Amino acid sequence: MKNTGTAILRNKKSAADREGAGCHAQVQQSVDHLPKILLVGTPNVGKSVIFNKLTGAYVTVSNYPGTTVEVSKGRGRIGDTVYGIIDTPGMYSMMPITEEERVTRDLLLTEDPDLVIHVTDAKNLERMLPMTLQLCESGLPVILVLNVMDEAESLGLEINVRKLESLLGIPVVPTVAAANKGLDKLKERIREYGKSAA
Amino acid sequence: MENLLHDFRYNENLEEAIRRIEGLLKSAYRISKRQIALLLLQGDEQIEQLVDASEPDSLQGIKQVVKETREKFDQPLSYVIALERQELASRIAADVITQKPKKASRVSEVLSRLTIQPLTGIPILLLVLYLGFYKFVGELGAGTVVDFLEGTLFEEYINPWINGLVEAHIPWKPLQELIAMEYGVLTLGLRYAVAIILPIVGFFFLVFSVIEDSGYLPRLALLVDRVFKKIGLSGRAVIPMTLGFGCGTMATMVSRTLETKREKFIATFLLALAIPCSAQLGVIMALLSSHPGAMLIWLLFMVVIFLFIGFLTAKVVPGTPSNFYMEVPPLRMPKLGNVLAKTFSRMQWYFVEILPLFLLGSIIIWLGNLTGVFNMLLSLVEPIVRLMDLPPEAAESFVFGFFRRDYGAAGLYDLSSTGALSPRQLVVAAASLTLFVPCVAQFTMMIKERGLKTAAGMAAIIFPFAFLAGILLNALLKFTGVL
Repeated sequence: MKNTGTAILRNKKSAADREGAGCHAQVQQSVDHLPKILLVGTPNVGKSVIFNKLTGAYVTVSNYPGTTVEVSKGRGRIGDTVYGIIDTPGMYSMMPITEEERVTRDLLLTEDPDLVIHVTDAKNLERMLPMTLQLCESGLPVILVLNVMDEAESLGLEINVRKLESLLGIPVVPTVAAANKGLDKLKERIREYGKSAA
Repeated sequence: MENLLHDFRYNENLEEAIRRIEGLLKSAYRISKRQIALLLLQGDEQIEQLVDASEPDSLQGIKQVVKETREKFDQPLSYVIALERQELASRIAADVITQKPKKASRVSEVLSRLTIQPLTGIPILLLVLYLGFYKFVGELGAGTVVDFLEGTLFEEYINPWINGLVEAHIPWKPLQELIAMEYGVLTLGLRYAVAIILPIVGFFFLVFSVIEDSGYLPRLALLVDRVFKKIGLSGRAVIPMTLGFGCGTMATMVSRTLETKREKFIATFLLALAIPCSAQLGVIMALLSSHPGAMLIWLLFMVVIFLFIGFLTAKVVPGTPSNFYMEVPPLRMPKLGNVLAKTFSRMQWYFVEILPLFLLGSIIIWLGNLTGVFNMLLSLVEPIVRLMDLPPEAAESFVFGFFRRDYGAAGLYDLSSTGALSPRQLVVAAASLTLFVPCVAQFTMMIKERGLKTAAGMAAIIFPFAFLAGILLNALLKFTGVL
């Protein structure tokens, strides 16, 4: 933590102060000393749904951008390992503009995640990929999730997942999180990542 | 197959700058030096502070590199970098995506367009308000369900039973009054919380969750963008504003997603003044549902106040309106499971938050009664209440309202169920109570988000304004003879 700037620490603290206020369900379980998984991505792609599915907790999920303005932390067992899973407010790029985007970047800069899951909307893959590239450029271990695949398919979009994996050099998992599709595959990939890191 | 990402390089000038900055960075960072260098090149001040904190000596040299690199390009470096990155992204996307003919039905697209265009969008909005809120929350929730819980269950069975028990077993009158009777913890506090507010809020949260999950809110944002711009807000602000109808506290927090300080200020102020929260709204619907004309006047009055004050605030608060940019998600069929889970979690949160406050409210009123402070407050408020042509008993609701808006609204509901208020009095009372100070929780959030000075200033304006608006509305209605 030596190299964290004071501005970041201040932000982090004030975010913690605000926890639990309001009618949006949030989750604050202790995730200290657990391997950490950070869920990031642009607003309204389904990060909170995936958070709920991985942790079995409930944070508020809606169909509009900006539902999550606070960080939620929960524990989830995947395989034999208990992970600390962190849900973040949406962000568009590594260069934050609004306050809640900054919250997420601060996490990337301070939390030292064992794994970053970049959740994207498969319909808008082209617009979402630059963020994947930035996460990879940052040297973070990334899994790319193509969520709401059902809507992409009904728009007639077909995505060659294996080719995408090899072009990017990271695991790519298609999901329909709200309908529980692809989550087992995601967990499997997380497990594999855990093994290769160990 | 090649790994495009691994082989990806920016143009030579940028790569050279990245190499030089990477060379100058001595500390270890949580993210790669390459990304740190890229962010520094894009002028990220927070990263500069980060570097300055751990290795101030390197910063001078880095700034020099950034400056030299900037001079090599016509466009800002952040633009150049984003552009090259997007080119790679597009190349990858083109490689992996095949566009097949659409399978989707057009229904949702047509519906989506209809909700955004003013000509069809406004009738749709009115229909949603009428069916969802007036009919479902107002008539079914606040009418039928509350009538049963409050009127039948509490007034006919629970309260007489408690009063009887207390009278039989507790000899001391003040203690009797603490627990039961007119303002008792159980007979008033618990009754307000369980039988009036909770069912109304529950019905409201249910409708609101369905609307949220359908994707209607962002479309509403597009619809009202033009109006919002006039009052210095971007359509983006519709999200915190509509959330305010659910819970002003939460909405004040969500105003964080707005981009400019000015927008946040205007949104916070309007939320505190002109947007009633679900509890208030539900009770007001219940109050006015027997007089459609009264409800229409209340609605018109609130819209006028909202626009007028918003417009005024935008004129007074310096700054330029920000540009509207928002993702519009597709219209989706709400999932019953999520709607129920969300409604339940909100009701739970709400109940846990208000029950102690309502009980505490009863205790404070009891104390106030015992010491005479309550009567003193009442006598302070009574003249103002009389100026609004309201019966003196309405003063109680306003004193409750100091404590919590929904508490005050519940008091008003209690009063009107005895038939003590005429339609005009109902509108006036409902309107000024809507404008009245936000609840303690929202005020606390205002302090947290906007600072004590700003929050206190807002409250200082809102107090007299609420009364003044009530007095004026009453005079206007009386003068024109509308109600």
